[in-house]
Amino acid sequence: MTNMAESPPQAVSARPPQRRSFRDLVLQTEINFRIFGMLLALAAILFVFHLWSGGTFLRPENMMSLAVQASGIAVISTGMVLVIVSRNIDLSVGSVVGIVAMTYAVLMTDVMPNMLGMAGDFPFRWLIALGLGMGLGLAIGALQGFIIAYIGVPAFVVTLGGLLSIRGVVWYFSRGAAVSGLDPEFQLIGGGAQGSIGGTMTWLVAALTGLAIVGLLYYNRRQRRRYGFPLRPMWAETLIAAIAMLFVLGLAWVANNNFWPRGAAEQYARANNIPIPEGGLLIQTGFPYPVVIVIGVMLVMTWIATRRRFGRYVYAYGGNPEAANLAGINTRWTIMKTFMLIGVLCAVAGAIAASRLNGATLDIGVSYELYVIAAAVVGGTSFAGGIGTIPGAVLGAFVMQAIAYGLSYVGVNSPGQNVVAGIVLIAAVAFDSWNRRRGT
Amino acid sequence: MRRSRLAALVPAFALVVAACQAAPGTPTQAPGTPSGTPAAPGTPTAECTVAVSWNNFQQPRWAAHDQPGIRDTVEAAGGTYIDADANLSNEQQNTDVDTLISRGADVLILLAQDTQAILPAVQRAKQEDIPVIAYDRLIEDSDVLYITFDNVAVGRAEAEAVLEAVPEGNYVLIKGDPGDPNAHTFLPQGWDEAGLKEKVDAGEITILNMSGDNWPQDAGTYTDAWATETAQDNMEAIIDRAVADGNQIDAILAENDSTALGVVAALEAKSYGFPPLSGQDGDPANLNNVALGKQYVDVWKNARELGKAAGAAALALCEGQDMASLTLAEGLVDTSVAPDSLTAQDFVTPAENTVKSFILKPTPITRENLNLVLEGGWVTKEQLCQGVDAAAADAPAACQ
Amino acid sequence: MTVVEQVPSRPAEAATPLVEMQNIRVSFGGVHAVDDVSVDLYVGEVVGLVGGNGAGKTTLIKTLSGAHPADSGEILIDGKPQVIDNPRVAKSLGIETIYQQLALAENLDAPGNLFLGRELSTPWGTLNDSSMEDATRKVMKRVNPRFTGFKKPVVSLSGGQRQAVAIARAIHFNARILIMDEPTAALGPAETAQVREQIKLLKNEGVGIFLISHDIHDVYDIADRISVMLQGRLVGTVNKGDVTTDEVLAMIIMGKLPAEVTRQELEELHG
Repeated sequence: MTNMAESPPQAVSARPPQRRSFRDLVLQTEINFRIFGMLLALAAILFVFHLWSGGTFLRPENMMSLAVQASGIAVISTGMVLVIVSRNIDLSVGSVVGIVAMTYAVLMTDVMPNMLGMAGDFPFRWLIALGLGMGLGLAIGALQGFIIAYIGVPAFVVTLGGLLSIRGVVWYFSRGAAVSGLDPEFQLIGGGAQGSIGGTMTWLVAALTGLAIVGLLYYNRRQRRRYGFPLRPMWAETLIAAIAMLFVLGLAWVANNNFWPRGAAEQYARANNIPIPEGGLLIQTGFPYPVVIVIGVMLVMTWIATRRRFGRYVYAYGGNPEAANLAGINTRWTIMKTFMLIGVLCAVAGAIAASRLNGATLDIGVSYELYVIAAAVVGGTSFAGGIGTIPGAVLGAFVMQAIAYGLSYVGVNSPGQNVVAGIVLIAAVAFDSWNRRRGT
Repeated sequence: MRRSRLAALVPAFALVVAACQAAPGTPTQAPGTPSGTPAAPGTPTAECTVAVSWNNFQQPRWAAHDQPGIRDTVEAAGGTYIDADANLSNEQQNTDVDTLISRGADVLILLAQDTQAILPAVQRAKQEDIPVIAYDRLIEDSDVLYITFDNVAVGRAEAEAVLEAVPEGNYVLIKGDPGDPNAHTFLPQGWDEAGLKEKVDAGEITILNMSGDNWPQDAGTYTDAWATETAQDNMEAIIDRAVADGNQIDAILAENDSTALGVVAALEAKSYGFPPLSGQDGDPANLNNVALGKQYVDVWKNARELGKAAGAAALALCEGQDMASLTLAEGLVDTSVAPDSLTAQDFVTPAENTVKSFILKPTPITRENLNLVLEGGWVTKEQLCQGVDAAAADAPAACQ
Repeated sequence: MTVVEQVPSRPAEAATPLVEMQNIRVSFGGVHAVDDVSVDLYVGEVVGLVGGNGAGKTTLIKTLSGAHPADSGEILIDGKPQVIDNPRVAKSLGIETIYQQLALAENLDAPGNLFLGRELSTPWGTLNDSSMEDATRKVMKRVNPRFTGFKKPVVSLSGGQRQAVAIARAIHFNARILIMDEPTAALGPAETAQVREQIKLLKNEGVGIFLISHDIHDVYDIADRISVMLQGRLVGTVNKGDVTTDEVLAMIIMGKLPAEVTRQELEELHG
């Protein structure tokens, strides 16, 4: 007996297992169909580009580029899910990324050394800059959130105003010129050969993640047994565990098939007295920091959305604002917090963007809001409110970036890329609407 | 119970901000001093109001270089300088021109957002007997004075430098916004004049990122809005493709500095090394890259000089001088930059209008002549040489 | 028309009313939605609150549930004056409400809705979904033993099942005062019968219930006393046993007490 099936109005006792259709089997695993479908779609897209490029697309180096390019958008999209779920929108994310990125650059190249007397060797200077930038993101989010939640101005209007005015402030800040030259530690945040966690750490992270998944499945099963809830069949549990572990280990394997450039490896070998073997020393890069950041953010945000009251209230408000108010929830504070959260996430994405460029330009972050919203929507978040998952949005970001990167790779120019992106967006939402109408 | 009383403030706030953005010209810093004082063409010019209509003042170069060039020239001769910014909008620019006329403009210096869409505004100016100078961007009207850098020459300079360094091999072409005529016509034309197409046809050069068979439309990758991050993402994909196909990237032609910056970031992310790379605009970050050896050539348009020329021409037109015989004073504009003839020359536009023009020359900057940008007050030595080890044997002369 | 006739329902128990609402006024910009209304409720009784559209029933009851505090007037619970200015306060006094629209978050499941705003936490601060589901299962056994959709979002439940969730919410938190606003409006006959059973059970447990309905027959079956409102004012409160449905109808439509209405007018009601 499963939870998902509609049980007939008779016996509660167990029925003898009869011939199950495939659909029943799949239902028994309780996998989220939408996310599963998106994983399949992503695989299909990668495969199509592999064929289109004459068999060169699916290489570890390319997957690395793709992952790093998607990371900024993916990070912000986790926050956008909560904003859209609670029936709001944030159009200012691109401008916030821009101003925070410029803040990092100006802090590390000008304000800190020249005005605060913190020279290049000041301990953890980069970390302080990072903290200040995140504080700025938080403050902007709080301001916008306050105006939206407590004064009652529609989010569309407030964040549109933010988009315009903040971008203007960036210009005044920098006089329009690009500012470059960040602290070396900060530069690592953006990935690249040295901006990765290395081979051993990658295997460790993968192993821990795998164990965590198994642990979660086990804990879940134990809870169900304790309360006497229906259990997932053992074969379903093992299947899920196996697939998840394979997936995680597969990602680690791809990451570990990227290596340091020859010159850097040799330098390292000489510095550490490691003999250089025939053919050069191979140092694995492993997961780039941006990818680690995305994974970390995704896990934390998913935890917040599903296991914390705040997350529950966001979804409740999105489902029925009146019900949430009548339940005594402080909905204004909840809404304001969603904007504060996305502000901080913009600052994180700003750090990734600035370190990828080793500086900041006037136009960092321009148009991010479109990609972030597209990622959330492709990932299953609905503008009607109350519906959307965080892993879905992260997947949505990767799907959209896979398309953009793939098209660049095979030589389709930007107008073509924009056409495809627009079609994919509409198709994803249309699919959702069709699905919902069918009543699943 | 939502109170929306303060909601009314938001549009007001937005208006104030928009107004602040549309009215530049108040306190701008002046990095360095203009080289040489502008000599007015003979007669004192009191009561001359020179109005400038910018199309995108947010781009760095205008506030930093063009505006001071124009304004200092005009004010040193006793004239008045006023301006407005259209923020990339054609409608706004038409409105700006009206506003400037009603504020008493005697001469109009116009940086057209669109060569066709600006024509009604030009008509109105002509009706008011206000001479129009087409600044940096062409206006399809035979009565304007066209003062610009030769964009085709910029492309030629970019390609000449790189082709000299890499006469044969695999090239990557990075272009700007597909809607900008500079990106799809003028700069590629310059590249071809330097010999790019010839070499491709002869098989000496292979373009790695063709998107079709048409030349030059399909040659290279465009970059929406000339955005640095977009150029970076595109270049990373191109590098990945080249590595996967076993092709070595020998040289990169990027049309301008903002895209070149993205290219450098991609090369660094992929630890690819730095094949010769071109750019234009002389942005400080890119000049620094030239000093560091990450960019090979940066075609510098000394926009300060362009501003000076426009300012001087505006003052002369104010006095009533005829466009056809307009002559710039000796030494007003630096000789390396000044046109061959200091008198206005004919220029035939793509739509076959003939306009009077001053076409200034761009200056290709490489490691060897970085001192030019220092002397021009364009960047500080600190900006230029950030991260350069001055003691190293291969440090550029300007940084030692 | 404004004479208030308070008729005690259980003469034997001269106890303090569970709820006393005195001289309640609520205005929306000049319009008196509730104009000097006084009603009360005793332990274990059902008071039907009836009236046409716009009579002010829901607004009156919102002052008790905390959804919309009164502009003036007093509310006493167990004889003690209380200030109820938000739903949390009402709940802490043992007042639970089943709104006409049920106030369920469509996208959450039954346990999520049951505990909305009052979630159970694990020792380390996260939501304790398992114990909430467990509690929900237990309470649903009393309300609807055949219910199985505990993990489904409530939007996919039938009207009766959603009603059951709303009722279960009230029961679980040991409501002493239950407000039900049009509980059977969207239900079929079988489910309506179910709800009536529920109400009877609750009555026996000593819960006091305010039952709002526009269906006179429904109210007549279940209620002990009936308070009638018309255009924001209280027409009167009568014992069910003392009046016919027609007389109540006359109160609703014409605002006339049984003593004031003629036989001819009563017949015309059905015309």
